[in-house]
Amino acid sequence: MITTTVTIEDPIGLHARPAGQIVKLVKESGLTVRMGKAGEDLVLANSPLRMMALKAKTGEQMVVEVETDDQAVADALFAQIQDFLKG
Amino acid sequence: MTPASGTILTGLGVGLNAVRGEVFRVKPQATLPGPAKHAGDAAGEKETLRGAIHHVAGYLDELSVKAGETSAEIFEALKMLLEDEDLFETAIAEIESGWNAATAFYVAVDSLDAIFAGDAAFEERLVDLKDLARRVAAHISGIHMGLDLPTTGSYVIVGDDFSPADTAQFTDAVVGVVTIKGGPTSHTAIICRSKSIPALVSCAQAVELVDGMQVLVDPVGDRVVVGGNASMATKAISFLAKSLDPIIPVRANIGSLEDSIQAATTAANGVGLFRTELLYLSETTMPSATKQAKSYAEILSAAPEGPIVVRTIDAGSDKPVPFLDMPHEENPALGIRGFRLIQDHRQFLIDQLESLEVARKETGREVWVMAPMIATASEAIEFAELARGSGDYKVGIMVETPAIAMALADLAGKLDFISVGTNDLSQYLFAADRMNAGLGALLNPWQPALVRMLQVIASESEKAGISSGVCGESASDPAFAVVLAGLGFNSVSASRSQVGAVRSALSAVTLEQAQEVAKVALAATTADQCKSAVLDALAKLA
Repeated sequence: MITTTVTIEDPIGLHARPAGQIVKLVKESGLTVRMGKAGEDLVLANSPLRMMALKAKTGEQMVVEVETDDQAVADALFAQIQDFLKG
Repeated sequence: MTPASGTILTGLGVGLNAVRGEVFRVKPQATLPGPAKHAGDAAGEKETLRGAIHHVAGYLDELSVKAGETSAEIFEALKMLLEDEDLFETAIAEIESGWNAATAFYVAVDSLDAIFAGDAAFEERLVDLKDLARRVAAHISGIHMGLDLPTTGSYVIVGDDFSPADTAQFTDAVVGVVTIKGGPTSHTAIICRSKSIPALVSCAQAVELVDGMQVLVDPVGDRVVVGGNASMATKAISFLAKSLDPIIPVRANIGSLEDSIQAATTAANGVGLFRTELLYLSETTMPSATKQAKSYAEILSAAPEGPIVVRTIDAGSDKPVPFLDMPHEENPALGIRGFRLIQDHRQFLIDQLESLEVARKETGREVWVMAPMIATASEAIEFAELARGSGDYKVGIMVETPAIAMALADLAGKLDFISVGTNDLSQYLFAADRMNAGLGALLNPWQPALVRMLQVIASESEKAGISSGVCGESASDPAFAVVLAGLGFNSVSASRSQVGAVRSALSAVTLEQAQEVAKVALAATTADQCKSAVLDALAKLA
C-alpha cells in the first residue's frame, strides 16, 4: 500500500472530466485505488459519480492510496492523477 | 384525407430556389412507458439493463466519431457517467426492490439530483444523463429515438419543427424541409437558410402530407405544391443589377473562423455581425487574453474587405458560458443576458474588448464594436465609455428592445452606429417567444408593426447622426433588404449564403425606388399584404 497527497488545481474542482480521466486510468491499470479528501474516508476510484460526490473543490488536498508495493508504478499513477487535476 | 395533386399548402418560405422531392414524414415520438414493476425476473431485468446501457454507449461512440476531435471528449465523459458502476449498482438495488429495468435506471439517475444539488457545473451533465436514461428506456421498449432519415434519394422531410439535435442528423438526401410549426427565425429556418435547403415553415396544412407523395417546395411562392414540378416554381424576382455597387453596403454575418473564411469568398463589404459567443461557449475555463487575441486576430485577418462589426458576448442562462456563473432563470430571454452580464461579469467584458484591441492592432483591420441587449440610453453610454477606453473602435449598440428604439434621440454624439437585430426586436415587440414553435406568424418580419418600428429606428438614428444597419435574419431576404434601404438604413448584413442575392437586389434599384417600395410596405395592414404588395411593386420595377 502506497499513499500520497494530490492538490486539486482545476478551477472547477473535481468535475466530470478529471473524474472520468482518473477512473479510466485506474481501470486500465488494473490496480485498486482509493481516494478521498484529507481527513475523510476514502472511496474506490472506479466510479466517476462517486468521485464527484466527494465534492472536492479547487485548492483542496486529496489522499490517494494504491494497493501495490511497487513505488515506481505508484509514482507514475500519482503523477498522472495530479496532472488530470490541473484542469 | 390525402390532398389531391395540385393542392397548394401555404406557409413562410425560406430560400430562393424551389425543389421537388418525396415526402418523408418524421413521426412524432412515441411516448415512453411510465414507471412499472417487473414480473419477478430480477436477473433478467439486470441483463436487459446492462444490454440497453451498452447499446446507448455505442450510440455515444457514434456521436463522438461524427462530432470530431473537439467534442469527442464530451461524449467520452458522458459515456463514463452512463456506464458508471455506482449508478449501475443503485439501479440494481431498485430492480431488486421490484422496479423494472427502465424505471430502475431512471430512479438511479434521479437520485443524483440530491447528491449534486447546487453544483452548477454538474447540472448540465445531469440533463444529458437524464436524456440518456430516456434513451435507455426507449431501447428497452423498442422505441426508436433517432430521425432515421434516408441517406440516398431526394426527400422533403416534414415534421412539427426540428431541434438542433434533429437538424444535425440531416443527410444529403434531405433536399427540402417543411415544418408545421416554427417561424422565420426558428432554428430550422436558420439552418436551412445557411445550408441553402429550400424550406417552408409555419405550414399548418402540412399535417396532410403523407410518405411517398411528390411535392414541390416553392419558398418564393411561400407554398408547397402537391405533385408540383419545377415549371410551377414561383420565380424569385430577377433583379438586374443597374449599378456596380448596391445602394447601401451589404455585409456578412459570421460566428467562427470558418465563417470568416467563407464570407471572404462572397462579395460582402466587411462583416456586419461577428457573433463572439461561439468562441466561449465551448470553453470550460476562461480563455486567457493571449488565446482570445489569437482567435480574434485569425478571424479578423480572414474576414472580407471592409469594416468588421464585432458584437460583445451575447449569452444568457439559455446558452450559458460554462465558466461564467449564470443561474437558472424562469424567462431567460427576459433575463440577465447580453450587456446585462456586466452586472456580475464586468471584467470578462473588459478582457474581451482588450483582447480584441490587441487583434485589431495586429491585423490593422477597421473594427467596430457593439453590445447586445441594451434597453436604456445610460446602458448604451456605459458601454460606449467602456469600449472607447479599451480600444480604438467605432462604438455602437444592437437595437433589439422596443425601449432603446424610443431613446435613440438621447444618444446623439454618444454612438457611431446602431445595428438592429430584427429577430429579437420582433420577439420583444410582439411579446412572442422565439422558441415557441406555435408563434411563428407573429415573428414574420413583414408584420406591419415591425416595419413601422424599423422606420422609427432609421429616422431617429439619422436625426441623431448615428449610422444605422440591420443584421437580423430579415436582412437576408432580398426584397426585405430593399425595404430596409428605403426606410433609411445605411447598411444591411446577411447570412453568408444570401450576400449575393441581397447585393443583386440592392444593385437593381435606385434609392428613390427603394423609398417608394418602403412606402408601399408602410401602408400595409397585414403581414401577407405587406409582402405581396412589396413583391408586386418590385416586379413592376424589374
